[in-house]
Amino acid sequence: MTQRGEVEHLNDIVAKYPEVPQLIILKTDVQRRGVFYTDSALSVLDEKKHSITGTHIFGTRDGKIAPRPESLLLRDGTSIITTPTAIEDNPYVVDLLYGQPYLFDGGEPIEEVDYWPAPAFYGKLTRSGIPMQKIVSARPQRLVINPHRYCTFWNNSNGCTFCDIVAQIKKGKKDLQIQVRPKADEIAEIVAEALNEPGRYSAVFLTSGSVINGTEPFDEEIDIYIEVFQELGKLFRTKKFPSQIIGTAYSEAQLERLYRQTGLMSYTADIEVLNEDLFNIHCPGKAEWIGYKEWKRRLVNAVDIFGRGFVNTGLVAGIELTTPHGFKTEDEALSRTLEEAEDLASQGVSTVYIVWSPRPDTVIGNQKNASLDYYIRLAKGLHELRVTYKLPIMFDDYRHCGNHPDTDLSRLLPF
Amino acid sequence: MPLTLQPIIRLLLDDTGTTRIVATTSEDGSPYAVISPFLHLNHDGFFVHLELLETSITNRNLLRNLWFDRKAAINLTGKDGRSVLVKGVPVKAIISGPIFSEYYTKVRQAFGDADLSTVWLIKPVEIVNETYAERKIEEETQYPFSVHLDRLVNRKKSTQKKDRP
Ligand code: SF4
Repeated sequence: MTQRGEVEHLNDIVAKYPEVPQLIILKTDVQRRGVFYTDSALSVLDEKKHSITGTHIFGTRDGKIAPRPESLLLRDGTSIITTPTAIEDNPYVVDLLYGQPYLFDGGEPIEEVDYWPAPAFYGKLTRSGIPMQKIVSARPQRLVINPHRYCTFWNNSNGCTFCDIVAQIKKGKKDLQIQVRPKADEIAEIVAEALNEPGRYSAVFLTSGSVINGTEPFDEEIDIYIEVFQELGKLFRTKKFPSQIIGTAYSEAQLERLYRQTGLMSYTADIEVLNEDLFNIHCPGKAEWIGYKEWKRRLVNAVDIFGRGFVNTGLVAGIELTTPHGFKTEDEALSRTLEEAEDLASQGVSTVYIVWSPRPDTVIGNQKNASLDYYIRLAKGLHELRVTYKLPIMFDDYRHCGNHPDTDLSRLLPF
Repeated sequence: MPLTLQPIIRLLLDDTGTTRIVATTSEDGSPYAVISPFLHLNHDGFFVHLELLETSITNRNLLRNLWFDRKAAINLTGKDGRSVLVKGVPVKAIISGPIFSEYYTKVRQAFGDADLSTVWLIKPVEIVNETYAERKIEEETQYPFSVHLDRLVNRKKSTQKKDRP
Protein backbone atom coordinates (compact mmCIF):
# COMPACT_ATOMS: atom_id res chain seq x y z
CA MET A 1 0.00 0.00 0.00
CA THR A 2 1.30 3.47 -0.79
CA GLN A 3 1.88 6.08 1.87
CA ARG A 4 -0.95 8.13 0.42
CA GLY A 5 -3.18 5.07 0.56
CA GLU A 6 -2.48 4.71 4.28
CA VAL A 7 -3.80 8.24 4.91
CA GLU A 8 -6.97 7.46 3.00
CA HIS A 9 -7.35 4.22 4.91
CA LEU A 10 -7.17 6.07 8.22
CA ASN A 11 -9.86 8.47 7.04
CA ASP A 12 -12.00 5.56 5.86
CA ILE A 13 -11.87 4.00 9.30
CA VAL A 14 -12.60 7.33 10.97
CA ALA A 15 -15.67 7.68 8.75
CA LYS A 16 -16.72 4.06 9.34
CA TYR A 17 -16.62 4.34 13.14
CA PRO A 18 -17.92 7.82 14.01
CA GLU A 19 -18.52 6.69 17.60
CA VAL A 20 -14.78 5.99 18.08
CA PRO A 21 -12.65 9.08 18.72
CA GLN A 22 -10.40 9.96 15.82
CA LEU A 23 -7.46 10.33 18.21
CA ILE A 24 -7.83 6.73 19.39
CA ILE A 25 -8.03 5.48 15.81
CA LEU A 26 -4.91 7.45 14.99
CA LYS A 27 -3.09 6.16 18.07
CA THR A 28 -3.94 2.59 17.12
CA ASP A 29 -2.71 3.09 13.58
CA VAL A 30 0.53 4.66 14.79
CA GLN A 31 1.06 1.67 17.07
CA ARG A 32 0.28 -0.63 14.16
CA ARG A 33 2.67 1.01 11.73
CA GLY A 34 5.31 2.44 14.09
CA VAL A 35 7.07 5.80 13.82
CA PHE A 36 10.16 7.18 12.21
CA TYR A 37 11.77 10.27 13.75
CA THR A 38 13.32 12.76 11.35
CA ASP A 39 16.59 14.50 12.23
CA SER A 40 14.59 17.70 12.90
CA ALA A 41 12.30 15.83 15.28
CA LEU A 42 15.32 14.43 17.08
CA SER A 43 17.01 17.85 17.17
CA VAL A 44 14.45 19.13 19.70
CA LEU A 45 14.77 16.04 21.88
CA ASP A 46 16.29 17.21 25.14
CA GLU A 47 17.10 14.68 27.83
CA LYS A 48 16.52 17.31 30.50
CA LYS A 49 12.93 17.78 29.30
CA HIS A 50 12.00 14.52 27.61
CA SER A 51 12.02 10.81 28.35
CA ILE A 52 14.50 9.16 26.08
CA THR A 53 14.58 5.43 25.24
CA GLY A 54 16.85 3.50 27.47
CA THR A 55 15.43 0.84 29.72
CA HIS A 56 12.92 -1.07 27.62
CA ILE A 57 12.49 -4.67 28.65
CA PHE A 58 11.57 -5.46 25.03
CA GLY A 59 13.28 -4.35 21.81
CA THR A 60 12.47 -1.93 18.98
CA ARG A 61 11.04 -2.65 15.57
CA ASP A 62 14.05 -1.25 13.76
CA GLY A 63 16.34 -3.33 16.00
CA LYS A 64 18.38 -0.30 17.07
CA ILE A 65 19.27 1.02 20.49
CA ALA A 66 19.64 4.78 20.05
CA PRO A 67 18.43 7.89 21.90
CA ARG A 68 14.89 8.57 20.70
CA PRO A 69 11.71 9.79 22.41
CA GLU A 70 10.52 7.07 24.75
CA SER A 71 6.98 7.63 23.42
CA LEU A 72 4.40 10.24 22.52
CA LEU A 73 1.45 12.00 24.11
CA LEU A 74 -1.66 13.06 22.22
CA ARG A 75 -3.81 16.12 23.03
CA ASP A 76 -6.29 14.05 25.01
CA GLY A 77 -3.60 12.83 27.42
CA THR A 78 -3.47 9.43 25.73
CA SER A 79 -0.06 7.94 25.17
CA ILE A 80 1.09 6.39 21.94
CA ILE A 81 3.49 3.74 23.08
CA THR A 82 5.17 2.96 19.85
CA THR A 83 8.45 1.75 18.59
CA PRO A 84 10.89 3.32 16.12
CA THR A 85 10.45 1.66 12.77
CA ALA A 86 12.60 1.70 9.64
CA ILE A 87 11.36 4.22 7.05
CA GLU A 88 11.20 1.43 4.43
CA ASP A 89 8.41 -0.21 6.46
CA ASN A 90 6.13 2.81 5.90
CA PRO A 91 5.66 4.09 9.45
CA TYR A 92 4.17 7.44 10.43
CA VAL A 93 6.83 10.14 10.46
CA VAL A 94 7.43 12.46 13.40
CA ASP A 95 8.74 15.78 12.14
CA LEU A 96 8.43 19.40 13.27
CA LEU A 97 5.65 21.79 12.26
CA TYR A 98 6.39 25.35 13.38
CA GLY A 99 8.72 23.89 16.00
CA GLN A 100 6.09 21.46 17.39
CA PRO A 101 6.55 17.68 16.97
CA TYR A 102 3.83 16.50 14.61
CA LEU A 103 2.75 13.19 13.13
CA PHE A 104 2.96 13.16 9.34
CA ASP A 105 1.78 10.63 6.84
CA GLY A 106 2.47 10.83 3.12
CA GLY A 107 3.96 14.27 3.78
CA GLU A 108 0.68 15.54 5.28
CA PRO A 109 0.58 16.84 8.87
CA ILE A 110 -1.91 14.74 10.82
CA GLU A 111 -1.78 15.64 14.53
CA GLU A 112 0.43 17.34 17.09
CA VAL A 113 2.24 15.19 19.62
CA ASP A 114 4.36 15.82 22.69
CA TYR A 115 7.34 13.78 23.77
CA TRP A 116 6.86 12.21 27.19
CA PRO A 117 8.15 14.58 29.86
CA ALA A 118 11.35 13.53 31.63
CA PRO A 119 10.99 12.59 35.27
CA ALA A 120 13.02 14.69 37.69
CA PHE A 121 14.97 11.66 38.92
CA TYR A 122 16.42 10.87 35.48
CA GLY A 123 20.05 11.90 35.44
CA LYS A 124 20.47 11.37 39.18
CA LEU A 125 22.66 8.61 40.66
CA THR A 126 21.84 6.07 43.34
CA ARG A 127 24.04 5.95 46.45
CA SER A 128 26.05 3.21 44.75
CA GLY A 129 26.57 5.44 41.71
CA ILE A 130 24.16 3.85 39.21
CA PRO A 131 22.12 6.24 36.99
CA MET A 132 18.60 5.95 38.39
CA GLN A 133 16.89 5.59 35.00
CA LYS A 134 18.83 2.37 34.40
CA ILE A 135 16.76 0.73 37.12
CA VAL A 136 13.42 2.56 37.23
CA SER A 137 11.74 4.23 34.27
CA ALA A 138 8.57 6.26 33.98
CA ARG A 139 5.53 6.74 31.84
CA PRO A 140 3.64 10.05 32.09
CA GLN A 141 1.90 8.98 35.31
CA ARG A 142 3.49 5.66 36.25
CA LEU A 143 6.74 4.33 37.67
CA VAL A 144 7.97 1.23 35.85
CA ILE A 145 10.20 -1.34 37.54
CA ASN A 146 11.56 -4.53 36.03
CA PRO A 147 12.91 -6.43 39.04
CA HIS A 148 14.05 -9.41 36.96
CA ARG A 149 14.88 -9.01 33.29
CA TYR A 150 15.08 -12.62 32.31
CA CYS A 151 12.46 -15.22 31.53
CA THR A 152 13.23 -18.83 32.38
CA PHE A 153 10.84 -20.06 29.68
CA TRP A 154 13.78 -19.42 27.40
CA ASN A 155 15.92 -21.99 29.27
CA ASN A 156 14.51 -24.72 27.04
CA SER A 157 13.69 -22.34 24.16
CA ASN A 158 10.03 -22.18 25.16
CA GLY A 159 9.77 -18.38 25.17
CA CYS A 160 6.82 -16.70 23.46
CA THR A 161 7.03 -16.34 19.69
CA PHE A 162 6.64 -12.54 19.79
CA CYS A 163 9.10 -11.95 22.65
CA ASP A 164 12.67 -10.65 22.49
CA ILE A 165 13.38 -10.23 26.21
CA VAL A 166 16.55 -12.31 26.10
CA ALA A 167 17.94 -10.69 22.96
CA GLN A 168 17.14 -7.31 24.48
CA ILE A 169 18.86 -7.97 27.79
CA LYS A 170 21.96 -9.07 25.90
CA LYS A 171 21.92 -5.81 23.94
CA GLY A 172 20.97 -3.85 27.04
CA LYS A 173 23.78 -5.31 29.09
CA LYS A 174 26.31 -4.40 26.44
CA ASP A 175 24.98 -1.05 25.23
CA LEU A 176 23.11 0.30 28.26
CA GLN A 177 24.63 -1.46 31.28
CA ILE A 178 21.18 -2.60 32.38
CA GLN A 179 21.18 -5.01 35.33
CA VAL A 180 19.23 -8.26 35.13
CA ARG A 181 18.28 -8.16 38.83
CA PRO A 182 18.58 -4.75 40.53
CA LYS A 183 18.58 -4.69 44.34
CA ALA A 184 15.25 -4.10 46.07
CA ASP A 185 16.59 -1.42 48.40
CA GLU A 186 18.15 0.42 45.48
CA ILE A 187 14.81 0.33 43.63
CA ALA A 188 13.12 1.78 46.72
CA GLU A 189 15.81 4.47 46.96
CA ILE A 190 14.96 5.56 43.41
CA VAL A 191 11.21 5.45 43.96
CA ALA A 192 11.65 7.59 47.10
CA GLU A 193 13.50 10.16 44.99
CA ALA A 194 10.86 9.98 42.24
CA LEU A 195 8.07 10.67 44.73
CA ASN A 196 9.61 14.06 45.48
CA GLU A 197 8.17 15.25 42.18
CA PRO A 198 4.67 16.62 42.87
CA GLY A 199 1.80 15.01 41.00
CA ARG A 200 3.98 12.99 38.69
CA TYR A 201 2.98 9.43 39.52
CA SER A 202 -0.32 7.77 40.20
CA ALA A 203 0.86 4.13 40.24
CA VAL A 204 3.84 1.84 40.60
CA PHE A 205 4.11 -0.94 38.06
CA LEU A 206 6.27 -4.03 38.20
CA THR A 207 6.87 -6.68 35.59
CA SER A 208 9.48 -9.34 34.98
CA GLY A 209 10.02 -12.39 32.93
CA SER A 210 8.59 -15.62 34.34
CA VAL A 211 10.75 -17.47 36.87
CA ILE A 212 9.85 -21.15 37.15
CA ASN A 213 12.08 -21.87 40.17
CA GLY A 214 10.79 -22.52 43.67
CA THR A 215 9.19 -25.24 45.78
CA GLU A 216 6.05 -24.61 43.82
CA PRO A 217 6.86 -23.33 40.30
CA PHE A 218 7.02 -19.49 40.29
CA ASP A 219 7.56 -19.20 44.07
CA GLU A 220 10.84 -17.44 43.34
CA GLU A 221 9.15 -15.00 40.97
CA ILE A 222 6.74 -14.09 43.73
CA ASP A 223 9.58 -13.78 46.21
CA ILE A 224 11.21 -11.22 43.92
CA TYR A 225 8.01 -9.15 43.74
CA ILE A 226 7.39 -9.43 47.48
CA GLU A 227 10.91 -8.31 48.31
CA VAL A 228 10.59 -5.22 46.12
CA PHE A 229 7.05 -4.43 47.28
CA GLN A 230 8.06 -4.68 50.92
CA GLU A 231 10.83 -2.15 50.36
CA LEU A 232 8.42 0.12 48.48
CA GLY A 233 5.80 -0.32 51.19
CA LYS A 234 8.09 1.48 53.64
CA LEU A 235 7.63 4.64 51.56
CA PHE A 236 3.83 4.83 51.91
CA ARG A 237 1.58 5.53 54.87
CA THR A 238 -1.15 3.21 53.60
CA LYS A 239 -0.76 -0.57 53.57
CA LYS A 240 -2.04 -0.77 50.00
CA PHE A 241 -0.99 1.74 47.36
CA PRO A 242 -1.93 2.10 43.66
CA SER A 243 0.16 -0.57 41.98
CA GLN A 244 0.04 -3.30 39.37
CA ILE A 245 2.11 -6.28 38.41
CA ILE A 246 2.11 -8.19 35.19
CA GLY A 247 3.18 -11.60 36.41
CA THR A 248 2.68 -15.25 35.61
CA ALA A 249 -0.69 -16.84 36.49
CA TYR A 250 -0.20 -17.89 40.11
CA SER A 251 -1.96 -20.49 42.24
CA GLU A 252 -4.45 -19.35 44.92
CA ALA A 253 -1.88 -19.86 47.68
CA GLN A 254 0.68 -17.80 45.79
CA LEU A 255 -1.80 -15.02 45.04
CA GLU A 256 -2.88 -14.93 48.69
CA ARG A 257 0.75 -14.62 49.77
CA LEU A 258 1.42 -11.87 47.25
CA TYR A 259 -1.69 -9.96 48.25
CA ARG A 260 -1.26 -10.34 52.01
CA GLN A 261 2.44 -9.55 52.18
CA THR A 262 2.51 -6.52 49.90
CA GLY A 263 0.78 -3.25 49.07
CA LEU A 264 -0.17 -4.60 45.63
CA MET A 265 -3.63 -3.47 44.50
CA SER A 266 -4.12 -5.02 41.07
CA TYR A 267 -3.02 -8.06 39.16
CA THR A 268 -2.46 -8.87 35.51
CA ALA A 269 -1.44 -12.21 34.04
CA ASP A 270 -1.20 -11.96 30.27
CA ILE A 271 -2.70 -14.87 28.39
CA GLU A 272 -1.49 -13.20 25.15
CA VAL A 273 -3.99 -14.92 22.84
CA LEU A 274 -7.51 -16.15 23.55
CA ASN A 275 -7.44 -19.56 21.92
CA GLU A 276 -6.01 -22.73 23.40
CA ASP A 277 -4.30 -24.05 20.27
CA LEU A 278 -2.73 -20.70 19.49
CA PHE A 279 -1.69 -20.25 23.12
CA ASN A 280 0.12 -23.59 22.97
CA ILE A 281 1.95 -22.48 19.81
CA HIS A 282 2.77 -18.89 20.74
CA CYS A 283 3.36 -19.33 24.48
CA PRO A 284 4.94 -22.77 24.81
CA GLY A 285 6.52 -21.95 28.19
CA LYS A 286 3.19 -20.86 29.66
CA ALA A 287 1.56 -23.93 28.16
CA GLU A 288 4.25 -26.23 29.56
CA TRP A 289 4.19 -24.90 33.11
CA ILE A 290 0.56 -23.87 33.57
CA GLY A 291 -1.64 -24.62 30.60
CA TYR A 292 -4.39 -22.61 28.97
CA LYS A 293 -7.41 -23.68 31.00
CA GLU A 294 -5.51 -23.40 34.25
CA TRP A 295 -4.26 -19.92 33.27
CA LYS A 296 -7.84 -18.78 32.85
CA ARG A 297 -8.95 -20.49 36.06
CA ARG A 298 -6.21 -18.69 37.98
CA LEU A 299 -7.27 -15.35 36.53
CA VAL A 300 -10.82 -15.91 37.70
CA ASN A 301 -9.60 -16.98 41.15
CA ALA A 302 -7.58 -13.78 41.39
CA VAL A 303 -10.84 -11.80 41.32
CA ASP A 304 -11.76 -13.28 44.73
CA ILE A 305 -8.52 -11.89 46.13
CA PHE A 306 -8.07 -8.56 44.35
CA GLY A 307 -11.71 -7.77 43.59
CA ARG A 308 -13.70 -7.00 40.45
CA GLY A 309 -12.07 -4.31 38.38
CA PHE A 310 -8.59 -5.13 39.71
CA VAL A 311 -7.72 -8.19 37.62
CA ASN A 312 -7.12 -8.38 33.91
CA THR A 313 -5.29 -10.20 31.17
CA GLY A 314 -3.52 -8.88 28.12
CA LEU A 315 -3.49 -9.91 24.48
CA VAL A 316 -0.77 -9.30 21.92
CA ALA A 317 -3.39 -8.59 19.31
CA GLY A 318 -2.50 -9.66 15.82
CA ILE A 319 -0.55 -12.83 16.60
CA GLU A 320 -3.81 -14.77 16.35
CA LEU A 321 -3.76 -14.02 12.61
CA THR A 322 -0.19 -15.08 11.86
CA THR A 323 0.52 -17.96 9.51
CA PRO A 324 0.47 -20.89 9.39
CA HIS A 325 -1.61 -21.63 12.50
CA GLY A 326 -3.66 -18.48 12.99
CA PHE A 327 -7.30 -17.72 12.20
CA LYS A 328 -7.88 -17.44 8.50
CA THR A 329 -9.98 -14.28 8.63
CA GLU A 330 -10.19 -11.23 10.87
CA ASP A 331 -13.93 -11.82 11.33
CA GLU A 332 -13.28 -15.27 12.75
CA ALA A 333 -10.41 -14.01 14.94
CA LEU A 334 -12.62 -11.25 16.31
CA SER A 335 -15.62 -13.39 17.12
CA ARG A 336 -13.56 -16.19 18.71
CA THR A 337 -11.49 -13.72 20.75
CA LEU A 338 -14.49 -11.74 21.99
CA GLU A 339 -16.37 -14.92 22.84
CA GLU A 340 -13.59 -16.01 25.20
CA ALA A 341 -13.11 -12.47 26.52
CA GLU A 342 -16.81 -12.40 27.36
CA ASP A 343 -16.49 -15.61 29.33
CA LEU A 344 -13.72 -13.98 31.38
CA ALA A 345 -15.59 -10.67 31.74
CA SER A 346 -18.66 -12.48 33.05
CA GLN A 347 -16.42 -13.78 35.84
CA GLY A 348 -14.89 -10.38 36.63
CA VAL A 349 -11.72 -10.50 34.53
CA SER A 350 -11.13 -7.73 31.99
CA THR A 351 -9.26 -8.31 28.77
CA VAL A 352 -7.08 -5.58 27.27
CA TYR A 353 -4.87 -5.65 24.22
CA ILE A 354 -1.71 -4.17 22.87
CA VAL A 355 -1.13 -3.81 19.16
CA TRP A 356 1.38 -6.48 18.25
CA SER A 357 4.54 -4.90 16.95
CA PRO A 358 6.57 -7.46 14.97
CA ARG A 359 10.18 -7.10 16.10
CA PRO A 360 13.27 -8.50 14.42
CA ASP A 361 14.62 -10.69 17.25
CA THR A 362 11.39 -12.68 17.58
CA VAL A 363 10.17 -15.93 16.02
CA ILE A 364 7.29 -14.27 14.14
CA GLY A 365 9.02 -10.92 13.62
CA ASN A 366 8.88 -11.24 9.84
CA GLN A 367 5.08 -11.27 9.70
CA LYS A 368 2.61 -8.38 9.56
CA ASN A 369 0.14 -7.29 12.20
CA ALA A 370 -3.60 -6.96 11.62
CA SER A 371 -5.59 -4.28 9.82
CA LEU A 372 -6.63 -1.02 11.50
CA ASP A 373 -10.27 -2.06 11.04
CA TYR A 374 -9.60 -5.20 13.07
CA TYR A 375 -7.90 -3.33 15.88
CA ILE A 376 -10.73 -0.81 16.14
CA ARG A 377 -13.37 -3.54 16.19
CA LEU A 378 -11.39 -5.33 18.88
CA ALA A 379 -11.08 -2.15 20.98
CA LYS A 380 -14.82 -1.55 20.69
CA GLY A 381 -15.63 -5.15 21.50
CA LEU A 382 -13.49 -5.32 24.64
CA HIS A 383 -14.74 -1.94 25.82
CA GLU A 384 -18.36 -3.00 25.27
CA LEU A 385 -17.78 -6.09 27.41
CA ARG A 386 -16.70 -3.79 30.25
CA VAL A 387 -19.90 -1.80 29.77
CA THR A 388 -22.04 -4.95 29.76
CA TYR A 389 -20.40 -6.51 32.81
CA LYS A 390 -19.79 -3.17 34.62
CA LEU A 391 -16.06 -3.77 34.94
CA PRO A 392 -13.95 -0.75 35.87
CA ILE A 393 -10.43 -0.70 34.41
CA MET A 394 -8.85 2.38 35.93
CA PHE A 395 -5.71 0.53 37.07
CA ASP A 396 -4.79 -0.16 33.44
CA ASP A 397 -6.19 2.94 31.72
CA TYR A 398 -4.67 5.80 29.69
CA ARG A 399 -3.14 7.32 32.81
CA HIS A 400 -1.75 4.18 34.40
CA CYS A 401 -0.61 2.37 31.28
CA GLY A 402 -1.49 4.05 27.99
CA ASN A 403 -0.85 1.01 25.83
CA HIS A 404 -4.41 -0.23 25.29
CA PRO A 405 -6.74 1.39 22.74
CA ASP A 406 -9.66 -0.47 24.34
CA THR A 407 -9.07 1.03 27.79
CA ASP A 408 -8.75 4.47 26.20
CA LEU A 409 -12.38 4.07 25.18
CA SER A 410 -13.22 3.07 28.74
CA ARG A 411 -12.25 6.55 29.98
CA LEU A 412 -15.91 7.42 29.55
CA LEU A 413 -17.20 4.50 31.63
CA PRO A 414 -19.59 5.86 34.27
CA PHE A 415 -18.26 3.47 36.95
CA MET B 1 -11.56 35.95 20.80
CA PRO B 2 -13.19 39.33 19.88
CA LEU B 3 -10.80 42.06 20.94
CA THR B 4 -13.61 44.20 22.37
CA LEU B 5 -14.49 41.65 25.03
CA GLN B 6 -10.97 40.54 25.89
CA PRO B 7 -10.36 43.32 28.44
CA ILE B 8 -13.63 42.53 30.27
CA ILE B 9 -12.76 38.86 30.42
CA ARG B 10 -9.31 39.65 31.75
CA LEU B 11 -10.75 42.07 34.32
CA LEU B 12 -13.31 39.51 35.47
CA LEU B 13 -10.69 36.79 35.70
CA ASP B 14 -8.35 39.09 37.66
CA ASP B 15 -11.06 39.70 40.25
CA THR B 16 -11.16 36.99 42.93
CA GLY B 17 -14.85 37.81 43.54
CA THR B 18 -15.86 36.65 40.05
CA THR B 19 -18.03 33.53 39.82
CA ARG B 20 -16.56 31.11 37.25
CA ILE B 21 -18.72 28.35 35.86
CA VAL B 22 -17.94 25.61 33.35
CA ALA B 23 -20.95 23.98 31.72
CA THR B 24 -20.88 20.83 29.63
CA THR B 25 -23.31 18.32 28.19
CA SER B 26 -23.25 14.56 28.44
CA GLU B 27 -23.62 12.14 25.56
CA ASP B 28 -27.44 12.39 25.65
CA GLY B 29 -27.37 16.17 25.92
CA SER B 30 -28.00 16.45 29.69
CA PRO B 31 -26.53 19.69 30.96
CA TYR B 32 -24.02 19.86 33.79
CA ALA B 33 -22.46 22.98 35.33
CA VAL B 34 -19.81 23.36 38.01
CA ILE B 35 -17.91 26.17 39.67
CA SER B 36 -14.33 26.31 38.40
CA PRO B 37 -12.45 28.24 41.07
CA PHE B 38 -9.06 28.24 39.30
CA LEU B 39 -10.37 29.18 35.84
CA HIS B 40 -8.09 31.64 34.04
CA LEU B 41 -6.62 32.50 30.66
CA ASN B 42 -3.12 31.35 29.79
CA HIS B 43 -0.61 33.29 27.70
CA ASP B 44 -1.86 31.71 24.48
CA GLY B 45 -5.46 32.84 25.05
CA PHE B 46 -6.81 29.43 26.13
CA PHE B 47 -9.01 29.06 29.19
CA VAL B 48 -7.42 26.81 31.78
CA HIS B 49 -9.86 24.69 33.80
CA LEU B 50 -8.42 22.50 36.55
CA GLU B 51 -10.37 19.29 36.98
CA LEU B 52 -9.65 17.81 40.36
CA LEU B 53 -11.53 14.51 40.01
CA GLU B 54 -10.77 11.97 37.31
CA THR B 55 -14.25 10.44 37.32
CA SER B 56 -16.24 13.68 37.55
CA ILE B 57 -19.01 14.19 35.03
CA THR B 58 -17.35 17.39 33.87
CA ASN B 59 -14.07 15.56 33.20
CA ARG B 60 -15.83 12.95 31.10
CA ASN B 61 -17.91 15.55 29.28
CA LEU B 62 -14.83 17.62 28.47
CA LEU B 63 -13.08 14.53 27.14
CA ARG B 64 -16.07 13.69 24.96
CA ASN B 65 -16.09 17.30 23.73
CA LEU B 66 -12.40 17.11 22.85
CA TRP B 67 -12.81 13.75 21.11
CA PHE B 68 -15.85 14.78 19.10
CA ASP B 69 -15.13 18.48 18.66
CA ARG B 70 -18.06 19.71 20.73
CA LYS B 71 -18.32 22.92 22.71
CA ALA B 72 -18.44 23.64 26.42
CA ALA B 73 -19.61 26.93 27.94
CA ILE B 74 -17.91 29.16 30.46
CA ASN B 75 -19.71 31.86 32.41
CA LEU B 76 -17.91 34.62 34.27
CA THR B 77 -20.00 36.92 36.45
CA GLY B 78 -18.49 39.73 38.48
CA LYS B 79 -19.76 41.18 41.76
CA ASP B 80 -20.83 44.32 39.85
CA GLY B 81 -23.11 42.26 37.58
CA ARG B 82 -20.86 42.18 34.53
CA SER B 83 -21.24 38.79 32.92
CA VAL B 84 -19.70 37.07 29.91
CA LEU B 85 -20.47 33.70 28.38
CA VAL B 86 -17.77 32.00 26.36
CA LYS B 87 -18.32 28.96 24.19
CA GLY B 88 -15.15 26.97 23.65
CA VAL B 89 -13.75 23.65 22.52
CA PRO B 90 -11.53 21.65 24.86
CA VAL B 91 -8.34 21.16 22.86
CA LYS B 92 -5.86 19.68 25.28
CA ALA B 93 -5.86 17.55 28.42
CA ILE B 94 -2.55 17.87 30.23
CA ILE B 95 -1.88 15.03 32.68
CA SER B 96 1.87 15.13 33.12
CA GLY B 97 4.92 17.36 32.83
CA PRO B 98 5.95 20.75 34.18
CA ILE B 99 2.63 22.53 33.52
CA PHE B 100 0.71 19.78 35.28
CA SER B 101 3.12 19.77 38.24
CA GLU B 102 2.85 23.54 38.61
CA TYR B 103 -0.96 23.44 38.81
CA TYR B 104 -0.91 20.36 41.03
CA THR B 105 1.21 22.32 43.51
CA LYS B 106 -1.11 25.36 43.27
CA VAL B 107 -4.20 23.26 43.93
CA ARG B 108 -2.61 21.69 46.97
CA GLN B 109 -1.48 25.07 48.28
CA ALA B 110 -5.06 26.30 48.00
CA PHE B 111 -6.98 23.22 49.13
CA GLY B 112 -4.57 21.25 51.32
CA ASP B 113 -4.62 17.52 50.64
CA ALA B 114 -6.29 17.76 47.24
CA ASP B 115 -5.45 16.03 43.97
CA LEU B 116 -5.51 17.16 40.36
CA SER B 117 -6.71 14.97 37.51
CA THR B 118 -6.40 17.10 34.40
CA VAL B 119 -5.40 20.56 33.25
CA TRP B 120 -7.90 21.35 30.51
CA LEU B 121 -7.16 23.94 27.83
CA ILE B 122 -10.34 25.32 26.28
CA LYS B 123 -10.10 27.33 23.09
CA PRO B 124 -12.68 30.14 23.02
CA VAL B 125 -14.67 30.24 19.81
CA GLU B 126 -17.60 32.50 20.64
CA ILE B 127 -18.18 35.18 23.26
CA VAL B 128 -21.53 36.55 24.36
CA ASN B 129 -21.95 39.58 26.57
CA GLU B 130 -24.44 38.58 29.27
CA THR B 131 -24.18 41.70 31.44
CA TYR B 132 -27.82 42.38 32.30
CA ALA B 133 -27.71 46.18 32.21
CA GLU B 134 -26.23 46.15 28.70
CA ARG B 135 -28.33 43.26 27.40
CA LYS B 136 -31.50 45.01 28.67
CA ILE B 137 -30.84 48.12 26.61
CA GLU B 138 -30.02 45.99 23.59
CA GLU B 139 -33.16 43.91 24.00
CA GLU B 140 -35.53 46.80 24.46
CA THR B 141 -34.07 48.68 21.49
CA GLN B 142 -34.04 45.75 19.09
CA TYR B 143 -37.16 43.92 20.28
CA PRO B 144 -39.74 46.47 21.43
CA PHE B 145 -42.41 43.75 21.59
CA SER B 146 -40.47 41.97 24.34
CA VAL B 147 -41.44 44.68 26.82
CA HIS B 148 -44.43 44.39 29.17
CA LEU B 149 -46.79 47.31 28.78
CA ASP B 150 -47.13 48.04 32.48
CA ARG B 151 -43.50 49.14 32.39
CA LEU B 152 -44.42 51.76 29.78
CA VAL B 153 -47.39 53.21 31.60
CA ASN B 154 -47.20 56.91 32.28
CA ARG B 155 -47.37 56.64 36.05
CA LYS B 156 -47.40 60.41 36.62
CA LYS B 157 -50.62 60.90 34.63
CA SER B 158 -52.51 57.93 36.05
CA THR B 159 -51.48 58.85 39.61
CA GLN B 160 -52.90 62.36 39.10
CA LYS B 161 -56.22 60.87 37.95
CA LYS B 162 -56.35 58.54 40.86
CA ASP B 163 -55.82 61.40 43.30
CA ARG B 164 -58.99 63.13 42.09
CA PRO B 165 -62.08 61.56 43.76
S1 SF4 C 1 6.40 -15.00 29.42
FE1 SF4 C 1 6.66 -14.91 27.21
S2 SF4 C 1 6.45 -12.70 26.73
FE2 SF4 C 1 6.81 -12.85 28.92
S3 SF4 C 1 9.02 -12.62 29.13
FE3 SF4 C 1 8.61 -14.84 29.05
S4 SF4 C 1 8.82 -15.37 26.92
FE4 SF4 C 1 8.64 -13.17 27.01
